[in-house]
Amino acid sequence: MNVILIAMILALLIPIYEVWQDDDIWQKILAFSSIASKTSVMILVVSVLRGDWMIGVVGVIILSVGEAGLMLLAHIIKRTNEQ
Amino acid sequence: MDDSYIYAIVALLPLAAVMLTVQVNPYNALVMRGILGAIAALVYAVLGAADVALTEALVGTMLAITLYAVAVRSSLVMRIGVLKDELSQTNDSHPFTQLIANLRTIASKYYLRLELLPYPDPQSLDQALMEKEVHATCIERSQLDIQDAAQKSEPQPYHTAIRIRRLYNILQTELTSPATHLTYIPVPDSGEKH
Repeated sequence: MNVILIAMILALLIPIYEVWQDDDIWQKILAFSSIASKTSVMILVVSVLRGDWMIGVVGVIILSVGEAGLMLLAHIIKRTNEQ
Repeated sequence: MDDSYIYAIVALLPLAAVMLTVQVNPYNALVMRGILGAIAALVYAVLGAADVALTEALVGTMLAITLYAVAVRSSLVMRIGVLKDELSQTNDSHPFTQLIANLRTIASKYYLRLELLPYPDPQSLDQALMEKEVHATCIERSQLDIQDAAQKSEPQPYHTAIRIRRLYNILQTELTSPATHLTYIPVPDSGEKH
């Protein structure tokens, strides 16, 4: 269980490094979407390993709602760049 | 207790927070805030607080980001009033297009958005500046005083009036285009209109 989660944390560090060193706003949004999906999948893994379905339901909701918020943010920034 | 991975997950939270605080560009900071919200939701869920994690995901990454994006978009803007027939210029070597391109570079350096509002004649342009509809007006000098129309070949064919002291200071130090003359016009507070 520990090995799986440590590997997932290391994978999560890749987009965090990307968002830190890249100045392009679209690269940052891509990294944000990657982090949002990875964290919710980690929540799902933890919930399955612990057998705690309350956390599992929260993980599913975060997984679906996070993408919706990302689409809203991307759309607003796209409208800003158009002028 | 074999929960040592919890320490690694919790360590991500201050890392994301430090990255958020060193951001200068407001739009990049918004994206970083979303990342911080996602990581915080992960930490809360792993520590067993499912309700807190749900609230953080809904409010922190969706509602706050959307509201702040709208607020940043509508407040970080520099509105310049220009004459309608100036806007129809498409020639790249025309001094007006070069001046606007120069202003746009300066504005993007300060993360501002440049908005050009067209007005039909110099009187309504002046009125708009006094009523705080625009932050600055940019107008050809020959339109201002007819007797100077003969001096069209002078080095500063445009006249830019700015009503905000800070914008005036920025433009005075950074503007490289020789096409315009800058003046600062303080507009008194009317007390009723904001």
